[in-house]
Amino acid sequence: MGRPGFVLEVDERTPALLVNEGEAARLERFPLGTRVIYPPDSLPGIRDVGGAIRQALLHPHGEDPLPALLRPGMRLTIVFDDISLPLPQMRAPDMRQRIIEQVLEMAAAAGVDDVELLAANALHRRMTAAELKRTVGDRVFRSFFPGHLNNHDAEDRANLTEVGTTRHGEVVEINRRAAESDLIVYVNITLTGMSGGAKSVAVGLASYRSLRHHHNVHTLRHSRSFNDPPQSAMHHSYDRMAAVLAGHVRVFTVESTVNGDSYPPQVGFMNKREWEWSPADQASYLAFRKLNAMAPAKMRRQMWQRSHAPYGITGVHAGAPAEVHPHTLANVHRQQLTEIDGQSDIGVWGLPFICPYNVNSIMNPILVMSLGLGYFFNLYRNKPIVRQGGVGIFYHPMPEEFHPVHHPSYIDFYESVLSRTKDPALIEEKYEEQFATDPWYTHLYRTSHAYHGVHPLYMWYWGAHALQHLGDVIFVGAERGTASRLGFRTASTLGDALEMARETVGSSPSITYHHSPPLALADVR
Amino acid sequence: MAPPLPPPAGPRAEPPAAGLGGHVLLTGATGFLGQAMLERLVVAHPGVRVTVLARRRGAASAADRLAALARKPVFRTLRERVGYAGVQAALAERVDSLEGDLGSGMPPLPGTVTTVLHCASTVSFDPPVDEAFRINVQGARDLYGAVVESPNRPHVVHVSTAYVSALHRGVVAERGLEHDADWRAELRHALAAREEAEQRSRTPEVLGPLLEAARAEHGKAGSTATAAAAERARRGWVQDRLVTAGRLRGQSLGWTDVYTFTKALGERVAEEYAREAGVRLSVVRPTIVQAALERPYPGWFESYKMMDPITLAYGRGEIPEFPAHAESVVDIVPVDFVTSAALAVAAAPPPPGEPAYFHVGTGSRNPLTQAELHRHVSRYFTEHPLPDAGRGHVKVPPWRFPGAARVERTLKAGERAAGLVDRALPLLPATAGIRDRVDRARADTQRTRTLRRLLDLYGGYGGVEAVYGDGNVVALHRARPAGSPGFDVAGISWAHYVADVYCPAVTAVARRTAAPRRKRAADVLPQGRDIAAVFDLEGTVLASNLVEVFVWTRLVGGPRSSWAGEIASLALAVPGYLQAERRDRGDFVRAFMRRYAGCSEAELRAAVRDRIGDALLHRSFPEAIRRIRAHRAAGHRTVLVTGTADLFVQPLGPLFDEIAATRLQVRGGVLTGRLERPPVVGEARAAWARRYAETAGVDLKRSYAYGDSFSDSALLGLVGNPVAVNPDHRLHRHAARRAWRVEEWGAHTGGRIDAALTAMSGPAEALR
Repeated sequence: MGRPGFVLEVDERTPALLVNEGEAARLERFPLGTRVIYPPDSLPGIRDVGGAIRQALLHPHGEDPLPALLRPGMRLTIVFDDISLPLPQMRAPDMRQRIIEQVLEMAAAAGVDDVELLAANALHRRMTAAELKRTVGDRVFRSFFPGHLNNHDAEDRANLTEVGTTRHGEVVEINRRAAESDLIVYVNITLTGMSGGAKSVAVGLASYRSLRHHHNVHTLRHSRSFNDPPQSAMHHSYDRMAAVLAGHVRVFTVESTVNGDSYPPQVGFMNKREWEWSPADQASYLAFRKLNAMAPAKMRRQMWQRSHAPYGITGVHAGAPAEVHPHTLANVHRQQLTEIDGQSDIGVWGLPFICPYNVNSIMNPILVMSLGLGYFFNLYRNKPIVRQGGVGIFYHPMPEEFHPVHHPSYIDFYESVLSRTKDPALIEEKYEEQFATDPWYTHLYRTSHAYHGVHPLYMWYWGAHALQHLGDVIFVGAERGTASRLGFRTASTLGDALEMARETVGSSPSITYHHSPPLALADVR
Repeated sequence: MAPPLPPPAGPRAEPPAAGLGGHVLLTGATGFLGQAMLERLVVAHPGVRVTVLARRRGAASAADRLAALARKPVFRTLRERVGYAGVQAALAERVDSLEGDLGSGMPPLPGTVTTVLHCASTVSFDPPVDEAFRINVQGARDLYGAVVESPNRPHVVHVSTAYVSALHRGVVAERGLEHDADWRAELRHALAAREEAEQRSRTPEVLGPLLEAARAEHGKAGSTATAAAAERARRGWVQDRLVTAGRLRGQSLGWTDVYTFTKALGERVAEEYAREAGVRLSVVRPTIVQAALERPYPGWFESYKMMDPITLAYGRGEIPEFPAHAESVVDIVPVDFVTSAALAVAAAPPPPGEPAYFHVGTGSRNPLTQAELHRHVSRYFTEHPLPDAGRGHVKVPPWRFPGAARVERTLKAGERAAGLVDRALPLLPATAGIRDRVDRARADTQRTRTLRRLLDLYGGYGGVEAVYGDGNVVALHRARPAGSPGFDVAGISWAHYVADVYCPAVTAVARRTAAPRRKRAADVLPQGRDIAAVFDLEGTVLASNLVEVFVWTRLVGGPRSSWAGEIASLALAVPGYLQAERRDRGDFVRAFMRRYAGCSEAELRAAVRDRIGDALLHRSFPEAIRRIRAHRAAGHRTVLVTGTADLFVQPLGPLFDEIAATRLQVRGGVLTGRLERPPVVGEARAAWARRYAETAGVDLKRSYAYGDSFSDSALLGLVGNPVAVNPDHRLHRHAARRAWRVEEWGAHTGGRIDAALTAMSGPAEALR
C-alpha cells in the first residue's frame, strides 16, 4: 500500500512545481500558502493480469460465471470502450485485448459462432483500422475485421432500435445488433469516476435521440460533479436508461481500473512529487524541456501522442453492471481520492496534451475548454475546489488549430457560433438541432472519421457547470485571440493571472493547485 | 481637422454685363470652358439668346445633354439663388440646342446667329492623330463653312491656346502664327492614318507577335479569352500608333504635341476663311486654364487636368522632387478671366477679313514662378494636410528643384526598380503575403507611370520659356463698358488664389475619399432556387491536386517496396507533365490519367472510400465547405466543376447537387488510362455552366462562382458574384481590375504529409 493522497501547503522549502500546459510542461513557483492536491502514490499493478481476468470472468458479481452464459447458436456481442479511454493510451497489450481474448476463448469453447465486436464510440469518430487493431490485438483483429469487428454507427437508422422509455420520458435507443443479442459482454477500462457502470452500454451504443436526454446543459449544470455518480444528474439518467435496458438485454460487464502511471519511465518525473525528484529526474526534466522546445511542432505532437502509459491494473471485476461498478469506483477512489478542507478563492489547473477526443489528433480550443472547465474542474466530490464566484486559472497555449478530418463541425462551431454567443443554454436552444441533424456532418461521421456534428456543442455543455460557478476564467500562456473567442482572458504568467484575479476575489485570495499528473479526485470537505 | 472650404457665393443676383447682345452659337458647351461660357451667358447676359451645338451621345440627344447641364456644379451659384427648377427654366427659355458634330456632320447655322463662340476642342493632349485633326481642324473647317453660308456672317470668337506658338522663346505677340504647314495635306494624311494603321495591324508582322503575347498571357484562360485579348491588343496597337503618329508629326514641325499642332492648323483654317470670305474673326488664346477665382464660384472646376493631379499627388507625398527650374514661369489663368475676356472680345468684333488675336494668360504681367507656386501649395498642405487613410496625415516633402536632369535620373531609377520588383514578384508562389506585395508593387509602378506621364505633359507646357504678350486684352479690359466684369490678371493675388481657392477645390474630393477603408460587411446570401454556386475543386475546395491524389492511391494500393519505383517514375515524368500543363490543362489531365492504366476500378473505389476520402478532407478548405453548405442552406444549387475524374471526388459528393467531372474509361473492371469524355477545364467550364444554367433554370447574374486560377476566369466572368479564392497572380490581377471579391481560405487545412499518412494508415495497411 502506497502513501495516501495529501494536500501540500507551499512554504519556503517548496520547490517549483510541475504544471502541464498542453504539449509541454513547466515548473512554476506558487505563492506561499497555496494548497496543492496530490493523489495517493500510484498503486501497485496486479502481477497476473490474465489470471485476474479469468478469476473475474469465472467469479462475477451478481451474475453467473461467463461460461455458463454462453451456448451454441446464441448471438454474442462484445462491446468495448473506444479510443477515448484510457488517457494517455495504454501501452500494448491493451487491457481490452486481454479481456476480449479470454472472452472469445470461452465463447469458442462453448461453441458460440455468432460473435460481433463493436466499439462503443457513440457520437465519437470511428476508430481507424489501425486503432481497432491496437485495441483488440492482432489476433482478434485479423479474425474479425472488417466483417465482424466494427464501430457503432449512431446514424445508421436501420441498425438502431428503440428499446424503451424511462419513467422520465427518456428514449433509450441503441445499436440494434447489441440490443437483439442474447448477451452483451461490455469490456471497459475506467479512468475516472464518470466512466463505466450504467454509462457503458446506454451511452456507448446510443444515438443522438437518446443521448440528448443527458448530454444537455440542464443535466450538466446539475451534475456536481459528473465524476461523482451519486451527485450527478447525468448518471441518474444513465441509471434509468440502464434499468430499461436490463429488461431487454443481458449485459455482462467487465470493468478494469488503472493506477497512476500515466507517463513512461523516460519522463518518470511526471509521476513523482517534485521535492522527491532525484538528480536523474532533474536531468531528465531539463532534457525533456530542451528537446520538447526544440522539436518541430508536428514531431512534438507525435512524441506526446506516442507516449503510451505503462499503466498497472488495479482491479478487474465482472458481472452485472450495477454490482460491478461499486468495486470499480472503490478502486478509482483508492487511486485518486484526496481529501481537502474547504474551497479556495482560486483554483489552478495545468491541462495536459490529451483529452478523450484528441487521441491521434489535435487538441483544438473547444477541447481545451471542455478539458479544463469540464473534466478537470469536475474532478471533485461534494464541492468544487473553488468557491462559487471564484477564479479558475488554467494553463494551456490554446493554439487555434483543428483537425480537418476529425473535427469539421468544431471548426464551424468555433468560426460561426462562438463568434456570436458563448452561452451554453443559448447555443443549445439555437444551434443544437442544426448541428445534430446536418446531413454533411452525418455523412462525415458515418463515412469518414469525424466526430458527430453535435459533438462540439456537447463539449461546450461539458463546461456549463464551471461557467456558471466561476466568476472569472484566466488562461496562462494561451493565444489571446483564441481565448477571447472562447470568452476567456489570458495572462502570460501566473503572477499576471493572480493580479487579474484580484478584481474578482480581492487582494489576498486563497489558492489551490489541483496537481496533475497523476489524476486526483478532490474530496472537498 | 477639416480645412476650410471656400465659402459659397452669396445668393444674390449679378447685375447684367453690358456689351454683348444678339444670338450666340456656342460650341463645346459640355466642356470645361464651354460650361463656364454658358453659365456666364445665362447669368450675366440676359439679353443674349444662346444656341448650343452638341452632338448626340448614345441615347442622349443634344437637348438632353443641354438639360443635364442644369445639375452641373457650374450652375451651383445660380441654383442656390433660383433653385434647380429655376435653372432648368432659364436654360429652357434662353438656350436651345442644335444637334450636330464638328468634324462629321455640321448642320446649317440658325439664320439669326450673330456671334459664334467656338470652344470645342479635343479633351486630351495626347489623342490619336485622326481624332485630333477631325475635331480641331476638320471641325474648324466645317464650322467656318457653315459660318460663310450663314446670312448674318456672324463674328467668330475662336478659342485656341497660347501654346500654338510652339517652342517659341521670349515674348510672343498677339498676331497670326508664322508657319507654312499645309493644313489640307496634313488633314488628308491624318484622316487616312487610321485606315492605314488598321490595315497594318492586320498584317502577320504585327498580328503575329500580338497573338503570341496574348497566348502567353491568357492561354490558360482558353482560346476565347486569348482571342479577346489579342483583339484588344490589336486595337491598342492601332491607338498607340495613331497617338505616336500625331505626336511625332506635331513635333517634327516644331510643336510640342498633336494638340498644339492641330490647334495651330485650326487657327490657319479660320484665318483663311476670314480673309477669303470676309469673316469677322477673333482668336482667343488662353494659357493653362485653371479653377475659377470668383465666378461661378471660387474654386469651380470641372475635372482634374494638367496641374491638378500633380498637386494632389504632391499633397499625398508621392512626388519627392520636381523636374522644373525654380524660376520658370507657370502660366496659369483662372477660368473666369478667360470667359470674361472672351465675352468682351465677342462684344467687340474686328473688321471683316482682319483677324484679331488675344492672349489670356498671366505670364507677362503677373508671372507665377514654379518656386512661388510650390511655396503656396506647400504652405496649404502644411496647414491642411491630407488625411492618410487611418494613419494620421501626410507630410509633404519640400522641393529643392535640383534641375530636370537629376530628377529625371531619380525618376528613371525608381521606375526601373519598380519595374523589376513588379516582374520578379509574380515568379514567387501566390501566397497572401506575396500577392499583397505584388499589389503594392503594381500600384507603385502604376503611380510612377501616371506621374511620369503627367510630369512629361506638364513639362511640355510648364517648361515653355515664352511670355505671351497681352496688350490687346489689356486694351480691351480698359475699354470695357462700365458694369462689365474686368479681366486684368495683374490683380490676382497668387497666395490667395493657390492656397485659398485652388488647393481646397482640387483636394475636396480626395479628402472625402481618403477616410479609412471600412471592412466589407459579412455578406448574407440571398435565398433562391434559381441561384447556383459553382466551385472549382483543386485550389478552391481542396489544397491538393491530381498528383497528390495519385501519390495517395499508390501509398494505399501498392506494396511498400514499390514506392521508391513509383516516386522515381513520377519524378522522371514531371518535365513532360509540366510541358503539357503549360500547353493546356486538358492535355495535362489526359497525360496524367494514363498513370492509372491497369488499375482495378473496384480497388481504386475502395481506396477512395476507405482512406483517400479522409486524405482529401484533410486537404480541404473548411471555409470552402462552410461556404458550400451556406449556399445549400440558402436554397442554392451547389455545383462542382473539376478537371479530375468523378471517382476521386466521391467523398465530397454529398456537398453538391451537380458534379461536372470527367470519367475514367473502364474495360473489364480495369482502367484503361483514357478518359470517357474530355476533362472540364478552362473555357469548357464556362460553356458547361452556361448550358447548365439554361437547362436547370439558373439565373447566372445572381449566381456565384469560386475559382483559384486564371484558367477559371471565363467561368468567374460568367456569373454575377465571382469570388477568387487564394488566386494565382494573374487571377488576382484580373480580379482586382474587376473588383471581384478575393478570399483567403485554408486556415485549418492539413499538410501534405499528414494527408499522405492518413492515406497510408488504411485498413489495407492494418491488415498487411
